Amino acid sequence: MAVTTYSGAEQYNFDIVKKFAVMSLVWAVVGMFVGVYIASELAWPFLNFDSPYFSFGRFRPVHTSAVIFGFGGSALFATSYYVVQRTCQTRLISDGMASFTFWGWQTIIVTAALSYVMGYSQGREYAEMEWPIDILIEVVWVTYLILFVGTIMRRKQPHIYVANWFYLSFILATALLHTFNNLSMPVDLFSMKSYSLFSGTQDAMTQWWYGHNAVGFFLTAAFLGMMYYFVPKQAGRPIYSYRLSIVHFWALSFMYMWVGGHHLHWTALPDWTSSLAAAFSILLLMPSWGGMINGIMTLSGAWDKLRTDPVMRFMIVALSFYGMSTFEGPMMSLKEVNALSHYTDWTVGHVHSGALGWVAMISFGSLYHMIPKLWDTKIYSRKLVEWHFWLATIGIVLYIVAMWISGITQGLMWRAFDEFGNLQYSFAESVAAMMPFYAMRAIGGMFFLTGATLMAVNMYMTIRQGKRENAALEAKLAAKMAHA
Amino acid sequence: MSEQKLQSQTVQTTGHAWDGDLQEYNNPLPVWWVYTFYATVIFSIVYWVIYPSWPIGKDWIGGMSKITYVNSEGETKTHSWNTRALLLQDLNKAAAEQKPYFDKVSGMSYAQIAQDPEMNAFILSAGRALFADNCAPCHQAGGQGVVGFFPNLTDDDWLYGGSYDEIHQTLMIGRRGYMPAFGEVLNGDQIDQLANYVAKLSGSGHDAAKAAAGDALFHSETAACFYCHGDDAKGRKDLGAPNLTDNIWLWADVPGASGDEGKIAAIRGVIAGGLNKGVMPAWAGRLSPEQIKVLTVYVHELGGGQ
Repeated sequence: MAVTTYSGAEQYNFDIVKKFAVMSLVWAVVGMFVGVYIASELAWPFLNFDSPYFSFGRFRPVHTSAVIFGFGGSALFATSYYVVQRTCQTRLISDGMASFTFWGWQTIIVTAALSYVMGYSQGREYAEMEWPIDILIEVVWVTYLILFVGTIMRRKQPHIYVANWFYLSFILATALLHTFNNLSMPVDLFSMKSYSLFSGTQDAMTQWWYGHNAVGFFLTAAFLGMMYYFVPKQAGRPIYSYRLSIVHFWALSFMYMWVGGHHLHWTALPDWTSSLAAAFSILLLMPSWGGMINGIMTLSGAWDKLRTDPVMRFMIVALSFYGMSTFEGPMMSLKEVNALSHYTDWTVGHVHSGALGWVAMISFGSLYHMIPKLWDTKIYSRKLVEWHFWLATIGIVLYIVAMWISGITQGLMWRAFDEFGNLQYSFAESVAAMMPFYAMRAIGGMFFLTGATLMAVNMYMTIRQGKRENAALEAKLAAKMAHA
Repeated sequence: MSEQKLQSQTVQTTGHAWDGDLQEYNNPLPVWWVYTFYATVIFSIVYWVIYPSWPIGKDWIGGMSKITYVNSEGETKTHSWNTRALLLQDLNKAAAEQKPYFDKVSGMSYAQIAQDPEMNAFILSAGRALFADNCAPCHQAGGQGVVGFFPNLTDDDWLYGGSYDEIHQTLMIGRRGYMPAFGEVLNGDQIDQLANYVAKLSGSGHDAAKAAAGDALFHSETAACFYCHGDDAKGRKDLGAPNLTDNIWLWADVPGASGDEGKIAAIRGVIAGGLNKGVMPAWAGRLSPEQIKVLTVYVHELGGGQ
């Protein structure tokens, strides 16, 4: 139990953690800016500037890739390397491999974004990257897997901490998902274009097996790993229940793989496939909530921290949104609800209550905990953390309320018949009715982006402060040595 | 947390510690969590019994819930519950509600339909839906059109005629507006003179001398404008040639141009460049005869029917 932060530099590879942590913040600001931009395009279409390069269709995957893989992915690399080293009490097995995952991953995000803007896309949601980028992802990801497993195998602790189970399941599942969903045949060796190995409804099923498990393992399991380390650390209390963590881990891992079909209700997918998936979505509710209970109950007995510690507040709000969106999801997977919600903005709102409320908030909380420790200093401004918290929370609420209203309005307008059996509204009229909610959503996004920008500034100042303190300390030390 | 304090807790930790102070209590599973999970298991089993669920070989369990629907051949079928049949049921219900009205439409004259209040209400509803889905992309939701592209259907100016029969013919066979490009046969001065004359016809600002020369040119064999637009420049509906005297503009954006010179420049552009873009598709074959009849009355009632 003698391990402290201060012995870090030699014992652990923190250099790689620092790099990923910084890039995570950079991608957060870039990705969220693009998100706000495309949200604004929907409200104020002149922002397309009649140019294909600025169009929603090309910017949308730039946004999703930058926030999920750039921001979320870099935060996961950073925290998983940090957590696995500290809880296994050992250094990553290879600095070279770690460095390769960093440069490889950043190259992937940049080339993916450029290729989308140039018009290349596989047309698979969250897997828009064309085949050459897919191959690079495969190589980087397998390196990540070897590095992570190798480090766990070299641990000096007899037991593997629960956060590492979640991180490992995320790395393993993502490798499987990425590989099978991207099986495709390039047009030729020098063409960016490729065609999927699967056809028709099987292709759709493969895509949503990937799509939902990307949510399940990338955006849920992995961030639960983050939660299992940083919440007890920040709270200074033990995890509430070891037993619960085992049961909900295995239940979550088992159930998630089945539910992708619920994205394809009311399509050509056979009904047995999607109702089977819907039932598994209901079964997934309690396993998902296991993580929320374990996180929130860890704080029981230290509730005062919610008042005094803004970083803790990020984490608890994240868990609350996690609980809310994992309840909303199974409800939307029932066909009767889905008949109203499918193809509407409700889906977009649901995704963002998970993505902003859970994924981004838990990442912010964890980074606020980790960055000062990495640079051996204190947070530059707690006041800015407070501001960030409120801007982010208000932004999320504006966003999801706007999408609830617009989604339900769309659903109702699309299926309204009048007394003559004629459709009451045309599609264009439903689009016109969305205008105020699209504006409200864009404003919500601006709040969230402003918060993230404040964080980036705050962390920049924190790192600078850490470096200065360190330099001063070394100068003192050097002066002492010279005198002696 | 000190050792003594930990031991005083009723629930023990697992005894492992990571990274200094990371520990885990060994609390039992929350009872409500366990029972809610059991409830979801029961829910799922019930769901699987009611709805189609598990695959068996090349078949699947259809579930107890059945659905009866009329397929596209008009046959009544009963099948295990499925979303395609649900959608068909919805569509069948709407079609059944529409049917008596469409039946009446085919048996009534335009004038009869227009005078029957109940049929008028149906035209407003069905016509609006048909117009929104098929016509509004060009003519806009209210039928106001777009200057430079698509004619306004709400005024009383009609390129091909605004009677029921003429509107019906336009819908059935489509239209193709064409004007030759005079930039190839006339010089710049001549086109400018014609433009001034056309401006004068609509009471727009113009140069009187140029307009007089334009008048002569208009009625001459050199430009031969009068062949299509008529001696009086009031257009010819059999050709779709517009009336030039009513100050209603489709192709030249005269209302949007600023200053007399701007307006005349807009007219010059049309004369010099000609037109080959006034294309309206034929709807016969795409929409049913009853639907086209409904649209005819609806468009007639947009404001300008004659």
